[in-house]
Amino acid sequence: MKLLTRFPWLFVYAIAYLVFLYLPVLLLPLFSFNDGTIVAFPMKGFTLKWYAGLGGQETLLQAMVNSLIVGIVTALVATSLGLFAARAYVRYRFKGKELSEGLVMLPLVIPGIIVASSMLVLFISLGLKPSLTTVVLGHVFLALPFAVSIMKSAFDDFDQSLEEAAFDLGESIIGTFRRVTLPIVAPGIVASLLVTFTVSFDEFVLAFFLSGNQPTLPVYIWSQIRFPAKLPNTLALGSLLLLASVLLLLTAEYFRRRSTKSA
Amino acid sequence: MSDQNIIEISGVEKRFGTFTAVSDLNLDLKKGEFFSLLGPSGCGKTTALRMIAGFQDNDKGSISIDGQDMADIPANKRPANMVFQSYAIFPHLNVGDNVAFGLRKLGLSKAEIKTRVAEALGMVELGGLETRKADELSGGQRQRVALARALVMRPKVLLLDEPLSALDKNLREAMQLEMRRLQQKLGITFVMVTHDQYEAMTMSDRIGVMFAGKLAQVDRPDVLYARPCNRQVASFIGGMNFLQARMVGDGGGQMDVDVQGFGKLTIGVNPNVEIHDTDLLVGVRPEQLEIGAEKPDGYDGYLQGEVSDVAFYGESVHYHIRAAGLDETLAVAVPNYFHTVDHQRGDTVWLGVQNASVIDLGAREHQ
Repeated sequence: MKLLTRFPWLFVYAIAYLVFLYLPVLLLPLFSFNDGTIVAFPMKGFTLKWYAGLGGQETLLQAMVNSLIVGIVTALVATSLGLFAARAYVRYRFKGKELSEGLVMLPLVIPGIIVASSMLVLFISLGLKPSLTTVVLGHVFLALPFAVSIMKSAFDDFDQSLEEAAFDLGESIIGTFRRVTLPIVAPGIVASLLVTFTVSFDEFVLAFFLSGNQPTLPVYIWSQIRFPAKLPNTLALGSLLLLASVLLLLTAEYFRRRSTKSA
Repeated sequence: MSDQNIIEISGVEKRFGTFTAVSDLNLDLKKGEFFSLLGPSGCGKTTALRMIAGFQDNDKGSISIDGQDMADIPANKRPANMVFQSYAIFPHLNVGDNVAFGLRKLGLSKAEIKTRVAEALGMVELGGLETRKADELSGGQRQRVALARALVMRPKVLLLDEPLSALDKNLREAMQLEMRRLQQKLGITFVMVTHDQYEAMTMSDRIGVMFAGKLAQVDRPDVLYARPCNRQVASFIGGMNFLQARMVGDGGGQMDVDVQGFGKLTIGVNPNVEIHDTDLLVGVRPEQLEIGAEKPDGYDGYLQGEVSDVAFYGESVHYHIRAAGLDETLAVAVPNYFHTVDHQRGDTVWLGVQNASVIDLGAREHQ
């Protein structure tokens, strides 16, 4: 509080920053309760009909199922790959380790549109038609850096002699992984699953290019935004997704903190 | 302790890239012996222990445990268990499950496992703490759990990597006695790695002193202290004053030497020394020098000097004496019998030494 009185402008700046960052996001749920199709003040009245109307739209539900499938498969694949990669990065020294770590992290900085268009070209030339499979492949590529960095922080605090102790006590290599390594990094695994799922679930550019005629939820929402009458529906859906994303990430953060504390 | 060898190590070498961590290691350990590998950090002692455990392969030579060659036997199949420096207590398991970890692979009944866990915890005085969580244990308790977890496997050899270094001084000293008692009761061979000379001396039947990947000397603690094989070993174990000496005659296990400062003395030939020469190095332990304001009676050699420093240790007082003709000051340790500090800086004092206190350390050129 002392800081506030000494630097009042810093406080103003912080508030302005937060408003700029979160006000648009908060408008989304606000208008989803508005009894009218035009997104503008003044609001007309409170209603839940946009939410109620969501259940009846078959293409929407199909898009939701598509997104869930893609998200779950992406989370499982990216987390498994991330688990093994992270253990190697933390535990071993090998040739090309830094290069490999850099390459794994690269998707974070490559423009999505570049990745998406080049993947589309690649998959088509391989004879792979745009489908949920190609979306999963793209999303794994995108989610891997998140999985690797979460799993790396889980392994950072992992005392290597724990695995040696298990092996020394007669356990096999696989048994050691199952009885010691996995349970100890389990919170990290859960955190990684949740984060990579969220990354995939919210992703638009890759899904737009690679999903063909099986749209995921973000792609579906985008297609709906062009029709003003359907906008409130989309707002309701978006609010729900926002809520789900925040909850997932909070849970993930809880597990991530537990994973760095336990070891 | 029996005469039978439990571990035989011959010609073992281990390299990491161009760095030789352990070279030409030859060592036979007796059944039921408490053996310590002592040396400064980086001397290769932990690498040697990890090769016995099976965590590291030796590049040359052979290691056998109880007559069986260990070359193709991985760590999880060796009749040796390890207590790790960090204790490596499984954080997701309670005390009982930690101790039972290795037993679950042996195909024992639940009741049997329970009995053996209780027995092992009783041995380390943690009886009844089976359900205690790993993160609720104190440092000393973690150490005991690690010990119980290894001992419950009834290994032929227990390997200990700096097992007490994480404990504070009082607890460490108590655990030293306790581990020694436990080892004698169980009759299991203990091989401990430590950089703490006192720990090695108080606990071990024999100590192997290692420097730069090589075993310098293997002996009982009292022999290491009285007859170190060279300057390095002599200065690593206890304090030592080093003096130059000249051999003037020898025969019958004795030799006449002219010792810097003290003059002519007749000292025993140290059988652990490899090379003798006319130019010798000898050593005298600080507590074996007599100090007095007057010339003391009944000593074989004398020297007069000036007190340059006084250090009060509580149980003893250390005086540093500078004398004409000596390159370095001599340390003298006097037990604190009567709560008095008898000499002050600048005092002129006499030092007396007996023949038996002067240790032959061999040719000066080969130190």
